[in-house]
Amino acid sequence: MSFFMSLLLLGLVLGLIVVASNPSPYFAALGLVVAAGVGCGILVWHGGSFLCFILFLIYLGGMLVVFAYCAALAADSHWESLGSQSVAATMLVYGVSVGVLAGGFYGGWYESSWLTVEEFHELAVHRGDAAGVALMYMPGGKMLMIAAWTLLLTLFVVMELVRGKNRGALRSI
Amino acid sequence: MTPVHFTFSSAFMLGLTGLTFHRTHLLSALLCLEGMMLSLFVALSLWALQLSSISFSASPLLLLAFSACEASAGLALLVATARTHGSDRMQSLNLLQC
Repeated sequence: MSFFMSLLLLGLVLGLIVVASNPSPYFAALGLVVAAGVGCGILVWHGGSFLCFILFLIYLGGMLVVFAYCAALAADSHWESLGSQSVAATMLVYGVSVGVLAGGFYGGWYESSWLTVEEFHELAVHRGDAAGVALMYMPGGKMLMIAAWTLLLTLFVVMELVRGKNRGALRSI
Repeated sequence: MTPVHFTFSSAFMLGLTGLTFHRTHLLSALLCLEGMMLSLFVALSLWALQLSSISFSASPLLLLAFSACEASAGLALLVATARTHGSDRMQSLNLLQC
């Protein structure tokens, strides 16, 4: 396993440690952005260029922008940065416990077990995962319809939750 | 267990631990859920890629669609809480009166 791949894996764990250690939502969103970007790197190094593209555009570009906006909406005057006492202590506890777990599993993993799709180690655009995603349209059509129906249902759920006039979940009494 | 498997497993467990213990904001809890979803996306993608079973590489996309539903419903609840309670602190959700 190359040095760069190990760096990416470490970055994913560190990003999740930042999210989990209870800082203010600004810093948690920053940690999640770092984790998503590093996850893109992991996927493209395993040969999934189209899945990396999806993760970067849809997840990082769509959902996390909404999360950053909501962090600005629910802004708090008193925030806890990564260097404050409780957050740093929690990050230390999480980091040490992950390190202890990694030390426990260290004897059982193999250095060279880095499998890519199609056993093709170079970076390329046209890979197997793009063809696999295209299978969603014909054999996976039912699942596609279910997902589309769920997204449409979620639109109405969100509209009913935040309506707030005289009907819906949030009404004035 | 390879280092990649250990990494996304520990990322999922970190998100779960962060969701379980001492959340102050509702948005932080939602961000922990998103972190868990991110590690699940990476896990499903790596499953399809490492086993070269490319027919299953549509499954992370479907997971992403459902996690988008979850995130939007959670953010709608966040907006509703910020409108009724004034902030999204989890302590204020214990109050009976708005």
